[in-house]
Amino acid sequence: MAERATLKKLEDMGTGMVKQIDAGDGPTFETVLRTKSNTIYDEGIGCLRTGDKKELRKFLSMAQAKTFMQTVAIASKTRKFVKEELHTSIRGLFYQLKFSLGEDLDEDLFSEQSESNGLIEDLEVALGIKREDLNLTTDRKGFVAGPMTILDRFGGEETLIDLEKQGRSGWSIPSDVDNGMDIKKLDADYVLVVEKDALWQRLNEDKFWKKENCILVTPKGQSTRGTRRLLRKLADRKLPVYCLMDCDAWGWYIYWTIKTGSMNLAYLGRDFAVPEARFIGVTMSDIDEFDFLQKLTINAKEVDIKRAEEMLGYPWINRHPEWVKELKMVLKTKKKIEQDALQGQRLTFVGEYINKKIKKKDWLP
Amino acid sequence: MAESDNIFAQFKEHSVAEFFKKNQQMLGFSGKVRSLTTVVHELVTNSIDACEEAGILPEITVNLEELGEEHYRLTVQDNGPGIPKTHVGKALGQMLAGTKFHRYIQQRGQQGIGASGCCMFSYLTTGKPTKAVSCYKGTRYDLEVLIDFKTNKPLLNMISESPTDQHGLTVISEYKGVKHEQSNKGIFEYLRRTALVNPHASITFMDPATGKISLPRSTEIIPPKPFEVKPHPLGISPHDLLETSHQYSTEYRKLSSMLQNAFSRVSSAKVEELRRMVPDVDFDKNPAQLTWEEAEKVVKGFGQVKWIAPATDSLVPIGQAQIENSFKNIFSPELVVVTERSPKVYKGGIPFIVEAGIAYGGGIAAAGKQGEVMRFANKVPLLFDTSGCAITETVKAIDWNRYNLKNFDEEPIAVLVNLASVHIPYTGAGKQAVAAEEEVENEIRFAVMEAARGIQRYLSGKRKAHDIATRKKLVERYVEQLSADLADLSGGKKDRIVKRLNQIIEDKYAGPGAGGEDDEGSATGTKPESDDSEGGDE
Repeated sequence: MAERATLKKLEDMGTGMVKQIDAGDGPTFETVLRTKSNTIYDEGIGCLRTGDKKELRKFLSMAQAKTFMQTVAIASKTRKFVKEELHTSIRGLFYQLKFSLGEDLDEDLFSEQSESNGLIEDLEVALGIKREDLNLTTDRKGFVAGPMTILDRFGGEETLIDLEKQGRSGWSIPSDVDNGMDIKKLDADYVLVVEKDALWQRLNEDKFWKKENCILVTPKGQSTRGTRRLLRKLADRKLPVYCLMDCDAWGWYIYWTIKTGSMNLAYLGRDFAVPEARFIGVTMSDIDEFDFLQKLTINAKEVDIKRAEEMLGYPWINRHPEWVKELKMVLKTKKKIEQDALQGQRLTFVGEYINKKIKKKDWLP
Repeated sequence: MAESDNIFAQFKEHSVAEFFKKNQQMLGFSGKVRSLTTVVHELVTNSIDACEEAGILPEITVNLEELGEEHYRLTVQDNGPGIPKTHVGKALGQMLAGTKFHRYIQQRGQQGIGASGCCMFSYLTTGKPTKAVSCYKGTRYDLEVLIDFKTNKPLLNMISESPTDQHGLTVISEYKGVKHEQSNKGIFEYLRRTALVNPHASITFMDPATGKISLPRSTEIIPPKPFEVKPHPLGISPHDLLETSHQYSTEYRKLSSMLQNAFSRVSSAKVEELRRMVPDVDFDKNPAQLTWEEAEKVVKGFGQVKWIAPATDSLVPIGQAQIENSFKNIFSPELVVVTERSPKVYKGGIPFIVEAGIAYGGGIAAAGKQGEVMRFANKVPLLFDTSGCAITETVKAIDWNRYNLKNFDEEPIAVLVNLASVHIPYTGAGKQAVAAEEEVENEIRFAVMEAARGIQRYLSGKRKAHDIATRKKLVERYVEQLSADLADLSGGKKDRIVKRLNQIIEDKYAGPGAGGEDDEGSATGTKPESDDSEGGDE
């Protein structure tokens, strides 16, 4: 179904351009301006999205002729992928399109992979589809375990995957969780996202997800598109999403990307954001609550301080007094705390910590 | 040809040969290449002047033969009126004797040391006399001439006299220790530039290395004769004053009357003023008794008196059309822009005119010219002392960036500057560089900048056309691939899309004002015929 819609959009794009040409006009297509100035925070839905500024891409323009041709080449090539039901990475696409434009032209269609990234985004925005719909895969990074069963239609086979039976490694979140994939059974109370894989492994060993009846996820640092989509889908099933991150610049950034989306991918809007997410820790206030953390703080780096200052300037963050208070404390003490510090006293303390936080609703929005 | 008769009546004698013998470099006889070019310059200049005075279209042949290492024979032949028997010796064998020095007139040569200087130089390097053939009023004189350095008298050996229906002068002389070179200081470049500013002259050069080269005339019109004016006090050097005083010593008994008669704008009131300015010079003494020191003081006094400016109508520029034709004739450049300024005066009283021409592209590059400044003074090419010359300095100091000529020295461009004046402010007796007179420099700058604006307009237009062509090409590169993908997506035929797309590009980037990035193709929406056999690239 989804495949048919994608194919139609791609074909309509081509037909529209041919119509323009037949009418004696140079071919064009419209996309949305993806600049910082056209990135807005949408209070209604609680995430970043692109504004209304449109941009017309034209073939008859010295500056755009090549990228226009390249964009159409990507459309044509990915249409083939979708039709043949084959997936490849952006790198794979790049090699598919890295050929000479002609014997007399000393130029390749693409010579650098970096050329294609922005053009794929153009296509996504212009056609209102995601790159995953174009059968373009991205690297996987996140892991998940918990009371959930997934039906995976892939490579001509259907596989039922029980996420309670993934052992020590968990299930690796694929780059596309929309096409050919359905959640068959979901019986959890909430979703817990921990920043680091190390902590995920610790909690998995404790069978934390079983005890708590939760879905345990780690993006393993910054979230991939697949991880973000999965979290969105789980949130759509009315599951609360709690995040446990480092109390430093990187941790905050990972959290806010999950919650509001990133500036870079603002055009993806709500599909890749979880405005309902909550930040349960680690926070500076935890020092007052748990004495032992006092000794386990480390000095904040310049980048942490800078990031804290920046965040205080973002309207979607400084509208929360809790965050303002937290960030100001960082600026004052110039300290940071890693989530690993929670294991400082006892390895199993982390579970208790999370429990306590959720029960007491002690979180930052 | 009545004119050519009386000019020789003005011959006067001077004893300066000894001085110049010791100071050859003052005449341009320094350096092996320069010496040879100087010889050609002196003889050719004399020929063109003689023809011009007689109202004859100059036909000049310069034949250089290599006799040995650094040993050449030079033959310069013209079709001028020739020189009468009575004057030929003096013309070639006596320093500062000539038709030019004592006349205040815009001419190529100024000091009358030219031909005799060559004669002297030839003798000093080879020990041989200079041979001459003068065909004057039906008689051909074959002769040899030497200079007696002690007395500055010509030693003449008349070989033969015979009747002829020709007219003209041929000078044959040999030189050693000189060098012929294909450079922008060599003979060919000198002659080429001479032809450039004398479009009525036809010059042939027999080059011992490359053979015969012809520089045909581009016009049959002989330039108007500059008429003679008496020298203005402001253009006079102590040396000039001394020479003039000696020259007129028999006609005028007092210095005061000599000044009033030999110079323009000198009235008795002005002489009285001079007396007050220069009290220790006796203005009643015989002009012949004037010493160098006194002459210096009088000239200093000239500078302090307020003079009526000399008449400017004696100046004869080359002319805009002539320069333009000439440039086209010799270099066939892509573009020529010529400007002529109105006459101005420098040093408070010496009139001058500046003409400038800029030739760009085309044959200029082929002639190996890049950012070249071609200097002329009264239509005489100045090839040497480039760096000390006000013309070069002024042209190079212009901000060429403003005229779309970023790297002046690397552009295919030749800048011609001709300074016309009854008194060119040379930096030295070698007459190869113009001194830095502020008024002259300003005029040069204005003239060249005016011409440069013409070049700029042309270049920006050209650049725009080039830009449009570049844009078109850039877009055309991608038509094939785009069409293939569009055919793929839409299910249409690639060749048809290619054909249509190329037509749209053709329409968009054709015609004036085309190629704007924002205007969409304006072709009408007529249905294309589905001719699939056609299409393809360009």
